[in-house]
Amino acid sequence: MKAVLDEALKRGAEATLISSESRRTEVSFDFNRLKNVEDTESFGLSLQVIKDGKLGMANSTRAGGEEELLEKALSVAEFGSAVSYEFPVPEPHANPRMFYPEVTEFQLDDMISVGEELVGFIKTLDPAINGSAGVSRNMIQKTIANTRGLVASWNKTSFAVSAGFQFVEGQNLLQSWDWDVSCSVRYDLEKIKAKIKEDFDLGRKNVPVEPGVYDILFTPMGFASIIHPILACLDGRAVMRGISPFKDRIGEEIFAPSFSLIEDGALDDGLGSQLYDDQGVACRRTPLIDRGVLREYLVDLESARRLGRKPIGTGTASGSRPNNLLVIPGEKPWEDLLRGMKRGIVIDQTMGAWAGNPYTGTVTGNVSLGFLVIDGEKVGRVKDCMFSLNVFSHLKSNLLALSRETKNTWQAILPYCLVGGVSIATRTS
Amino acid sequence: MKEDTKDLMWRALRRSTAEYCEVRIEETEETSVRFRGKDIELVAENVSVGGNVRALYRGGWGFVSFNRLDDLDRKVDEACAQAKILGEKLNKDIRLYPVDPVVDRIAGNFKREAFAVPLKEKIKLLEGYNLLILGSPEITSSSVYYFDRHTHLHFANSEGTYIYQEKMDVGGALTAIATKDKLTTQESARFGSNQDYDVAVGLEEEVRDAAKAAREMLHAPVVEAGEYTVILDPDMAGLFVHEAFGHLSEADSLDEDERMKELLKIGTRYGSDELNIYDSGVEGPNRGESKYDDEGVPMQKTYLIKGGVVVGHLHCRESAAKMNESPTGNARAINYRFPPIVRMRTTCIAPGKATFDEMLKGISLGVYVRGGYGGQTNGEMFTFAASRAYMIRNGSIAEMVRDVNLTGNVFATLRSIDMIGNDFQFKNGPGGCGKGGQSPLPVAQGSPHIRIQKVVVGGEKR
Repeated sequence: MKAVLDEALKRGAEATLISSESRRTEVSFDFNRLKNVEDTESFGLSLQVIKDGKLGMANSTRAGGEEELLEKALSVAEFGSAVSYEFPVPEPHANPRMFYPEVTEFQLDDMISVGEELVGFIKTLDPAINGSAGVSRNMIQKTIANTRGLVASWNKTSFAVSAGFQFVEGQNLLQSWDWDVSCSVRYDLEKIKAKIKEDFDLGRKNVPVEPGVYDILFTPMGFASIIHPILACLDGRAVMRGISPFKDRIGEEIFAPSFSLIEDGALDDGLGSQLYDDQGVACRRTPLIDRGVLREYLVDLESARRLGRKPIGTGTASGSRPNNLLVIPGEKPWEDLLRGMKRGIVIDQTMGAWAGNPYTGTVTGNVSLGFLVIDGEKVGRVKDCMFSLNVFSHLKSNLLALSRETKNTWQAILPYCLVGGVSIATRTS
Repeated sequence: MKEDTKDLMWRALRRSTAEYCEVRIEETEETSVRFRGKDIELVAENVSVGGNVRALYRGGWGFVSFNRLDDLDRKVDEACAQAKILGEKLNKDIRLYPVDPVVDRIAGNFKREAFAVPLKEKIKLLEGYNLLILGSPEITSSSVYYFDRHTHLHFANSEGTYIYQEKMDVGGALTAIATKDKLTTQESARFGSNQDYDVAVGLEEEVRDAAKAAREMLHAPVVEAGEYTVILDPDMAGLFVHEAFGHLSEADSLDEDERMKELLKIGTRYGSDELNIYDSGVEGPNRGESKYDDEGVPMQKTYLIKGGVVVGHLHCRESAAKMNESPTGNARAINYRFPPIVRMRTTCIAPGKATFDEMLKGISLGVYVRGGYGGQTNGEMFTFAASRAYMIRNGSIAEMVRDVNLTGNVFATLRSIDMIGNDFQFKNGPGGCGKGGQSPLPVAQGSPHIRIQKVVVGGEKR
């Protein structure tokens, strides 16, 4: 790495080079049986150069491709974006725990056994069910170095277990799944089985739902599908360009006081934790929304400079990327929130909620797996309907409660979220 | 990896101890450029070199992917060893549908090579679009994105097949963004091709139209939630058929599920006599089409519905053998990091007879949808988001509305298509399809305008 950085300096450029190497093994089951083993060895180099105030980038997976990479990055820098920052000098970093040797030591046969147990359970639900499962272990080694003296390396592991099913009855298709993911080997198969069984038992009973306005209890998975407009609008580049409605609103209460959103790149056991971001800024914990008040944007070096903010370790060469996002949980168990609902819907899986224009805050999606709730009990599955809310206004004025339990949804660590006044559209005949 | 690639791959394959083994080696050079607002945000050149080995033994698949190409023999050994671990547990007699071995070399013969156009020329073109967007009334920002890829793909298997295919992929989106009173709206002109850089050229009219639509959307009300008769333009109708029926026809989700097979059984009626749906790898030139799929099977045109009735499915070699149907050339992998699975190519609703005016007639209250941001399906239900939509009132196009999302039950909605237009068009955008963690895979769509009764539109309830 040093040779490339030295050569960049000789050619009049500052540079940051990132090298990553990973190995991932996954065992997957489909149609109630073991299906395949996938083993992925990845290698990649990513180089950013700043020459004459302009940024050039090149990436390569070719082993020994450092010289080619430098030539490409320098050649595109001529046309690259004008940047107002310099790569940072080394700063102290946190030391989150993110490497667990037991992940790399977990044997293939044991991974198969975990999957067999899950699929074996799913098969007992019905002879016609199509059960699937996946067990994966992953190890990544990342190194970052720049021409201002930064050199840092870290290892990270992750282990994931997932299971689900598809069940067809006539023209009814029911699908559900659950998972556990962590940097260490930590999973609860009984919890996964319980969720699958409940969805199977209740999901086979379709109940009609009238169009109207409902209280909705989003599970962590459902909640994950509605928060993307908040992230898009917190992005420093969107703020910088004036298209985010959060522009010039630092210090303003834009959500309910019970809503706090944290970015934490230094989180112990965080899937996205790292020592430094891709621009060489140390990762840290930063409240973005603190008790409803906008405190910080997700910035990279360029947007931080232009917005007068300090970098928070969420930078990449082309914009921001959060490491670990957390919504601070509430105090009540989610089952208490459910029991307190008079008439509402639990939404677990959505479809199409990611589409659309995020800057309006409007989220509309199909209720892919949802259950009607009457007097605190889930009474059956609702289908063929769409929910619609404005996540900005609903999380300000209609946020009823957050549960104390959270789940790592891969994108974020989220509680259950109870929101009032959500519009439900459905066929009327 | 030049002249000796075939020999290298075949030599490694001779070590296979599995019932079937294949090797894929791929090298892709990519250029990407993005403007946001007045600034150029990204100029990058990327090189991706890698490969994979896939092996089948007694029903178990082993799959190894890698970037270091210097020890292909060991990778074949590893994939075969994995397949054996699984196969010895499973001990299933799973075969691949037999296909004739082929040795072929497909040079690109592109109309205009994107990778041969100097970077300076591409940036000048994109800068021109960006300035055009930013100079439009009420437009506050922009996002102009462009990519091109040039791929050399080598495939060989233990049955004696070796295929080299040179591929090109080019695409982009030219987005105008308007902001007023904390409301931001956007609309894009999009392009894509597997043959011709010139699809990126001469889009000024489309850019002006997108900027005008983004501006008009600022003043448009949110659609009122409800059930409407909708007319989908060819762009959105193509997205609809991809989501609503294309995914359901992918046989890797049918081949071991008796109830799914029953649902998609040949001869089942799902639409009117006028409804014809097909998926093709040979319509050309469209993104996602090529001479061979990623199992070395020639691509073809496959009817899924003819005269309203199910007539076919999309197959890889494994699903074809399991269902005793012919492979259709639909085994595709997004790149060397993934095994091929059953995917669409260009999915189409064949043209009917209706004119657009005939479709409008008789609609007292409806929605006309032009273009889409994307869609999704879970098998029985689908949803998609419109990029532009207008109310239809008393048989005429009326005011623009925004935040239009449509949903429905796949089977009920197919039966509710009551008119199919005579104005068929292909649509190639810059995006792609997602399945099994492989996204975005280049695909295209084709359709005329279609009219559907009783579609649920999400939005605010007043």
